[in-house]
Amino acid sequence: MGIGAIITFTLLFISIYFEVFLLMAFLQHRFSRIPAHKQAAPHPLPHVAIIVPCYNESETVRGTVNSLLALNYPKELLELLIVDDGSTDNTLEIVQEFKTDSRVRIFTKPNGGKHTAMNLGLQNTSAEFIGCLDADSSVASDALLKVIPVFNNARVAAVTPCILVREPDTMLQHMQNVEYRLSIFNRFILAAIGSAFITPGPFSFFRAAVVRKLGGWRYAHSTEDMEMALRMQKDGWLIANAPNAIVHTSTPRTLRALFKQRVRWTYGWLRNAIDYRGMFGNGTYGNLSIIVLPSAIFSIFAGIYFFARIMYGAVRASISLVRRIEYGGIHMPSSFDLFYVNTSAVLFVVYVSIALILLLISLGSLIGTGSKKPPLSTPLFLLLYSFLTPLWLGAAVVRAIFKTGVSWR
Amino acid sequence: MEPVVNTRTARWGSYIVAFLITAIIFATAVYASNYFNNKRIADVQATQDNISIDILSLETQFDLLAEHSCEDISENSVLSTEIQPLASRLSYLETQQGVNQDELTRLKRYYTLLQIKDLLLMQQVANKCNLKPVNILYFYSNKGDCTDCEKQGYALTGLSEKYPTLRVYSFDYNIGLAALQTLVDIHDVKNQLPALVINNKVYYGLHTMDDIEKIAPALLKLATSTATSTKVR
Repeated sequence: MGIGAIITFTLLFISIYFEVFLLMAFLQHRFSRIPAHKQAAPHPLPHVAIIVPCYNESETVRGTVNSLLALNYPKELLELLIVDDGSTDNTLEIVQEFKTDSRVRIFTKPNGGKHTAMNLGLQNTSAEFIGCLDADSSVASDALLKVIPVFNNARVAAVTPCILVREPDTMLQHMQNVEYRLSIFNRFILAAIGSAFITPGPFSFFRAAVVRKLGGWRYAHSTEDMEMALRMQKDGWLIANAPNAIVHTSTPRTLRALFKQRVRWTYGWLRNAIDYRGMFGNGTYGNLSIIVLPSAIFSIFAGIYFFARIMYGAVRASISLVRRIEYGGIHMPSSFDLFYVNTSAVLFVVYVSIALILLLISLGSLIGTGSKKPPLSTPLFLLLYSFLTPLWLGAAVVRAIFKTGVSWR
Repeated sequence: MEPVVNTRTARWGSYIVAFLITAIIFATAVYASNYFNNKRIADVQATQDNISIDILSLETQFDLLAEHSCEDISENSVLSTEIQPLASRLSYLETQQGVNQDELTRLKRYYTLLQIKDLLLMQQVANKCNLKPVNILYFYSNKGDCTDCEKQGYALTGLSEKYPTLRVYSFDYNIGLAALQTLVDIHDVKNQLPALVINNKVYYGLHTMDDIEKIAPALLKLATSTATSTKVR
């Protein structure tokens, strides 16, 4: 067996091991739900503030704020802190439409990044819990009431929601719709094994006292939601998931926009991983440090390797085909012969891996929508997305190595 | 689904069980792959046995009928048609991981012998029945020391497809078989591969389909011959 085959087998083994581990965790935890009495909303309900950081969000911010105003939550206990982070479009003008609502407070400041907007909100509220909603997302009216009871566990410092893609339109958005189902599963199961390490921008909630104790949000390579989660984990807090709290978020329509977003996410993850490298393999952090964080890093490099290997194989096959035509002419292929069907062990393992991913997507759909049926675009996702992902993984790795930094837009 | 949150305590039991499940998945994949590879080897073996019987049968038939029945020989020629597809099957097996290399080498040696037998028998038929066969002996190496062998292989495959009655005998120069070494010595083929033997003359280096057609104009006659006639002319 050549070195290439050994590397391929090893990477496939680790990939499938992680998928099996998550599935086992799911089977173990799906029946160990939080008891009903602990799920009940606290009485009286706590004071909650939701910060909406905006930077040039004129197209979506109106829908976002409207969805927040429609939240099923006592008006006197809900604050909406809309922070215009130095927008250069008419975002500020649009949000001013909401200033008459008693729940809304509007702030404007020079552009400083999402963490500065979040900190401004934090400084201007005394709410017990602080939420964040990116201005490209909207929430279901009962979402907040699904989140708050999860904080009944005093060790929970943050709660993440269930994020679905809002009205997927383009082919890319449909593929992201499938990807988000996978993320729903991951978010759910990582919380179940105490290993969530991202508190995504759309509608994650935080215990304000913990955020203050930890020093508020920091600049973190344009991925503040990841850094805050890692800091909470490092300080020993739990990050939970409320799969019934539904949020719809806009996703990039074009490959260019998607590429930029994902380079930022991956770059941020890599740089934060370097900043928090002490957590890797450190037994103190259990599953998070032994399995989850190493797997998250591993998946980046495995994705790039598999892509490179497939491309290398495709280039070799193309050269071979060109030579075959050049030297042997074009001939009709002979009739189908079972003898030549590829039955290599690697291919069997790849089939198993794809089947497992399909199962995870299906479980993500079950958690997020109540139906096991994966989106119709799942075959498209399985076929094409793995060829797109390495583009931004590769770009992010190069940028992370050279510390080039990334921008939001 | 309801929220679930737990501590992140490492659960070594789960890690080990997940490892065992993954190992079982891999072991099953390797077992399945080996099963199919062994089935392929068995297929090739069975084909080779059939060819061996064909050759023996033809030799016997040839001896029985002797020279006065050339017509019967050519019309009922049983020079195996399975021998050529076997080459591509063996080439395919060479590219597959997990194939028993010793077994594959044994099959390749056996195949080489069958080709030589086929070649000799064809020459006998040609001599006694006054036929002018067109065949090409192709010597290659897949040790990585023959950069043009892949291209030469394509050119010969192209020719075989263009002239279905042309017989191309491919020999791995390094297979280490005494009978092949004798054939190499008879034609004085040097280790400058790829090498072709056409009408008892050795040609070294890459030769395209056009080159070979110019060397062996009899090929053009094959193009107009019918498949129902003798295999060789």
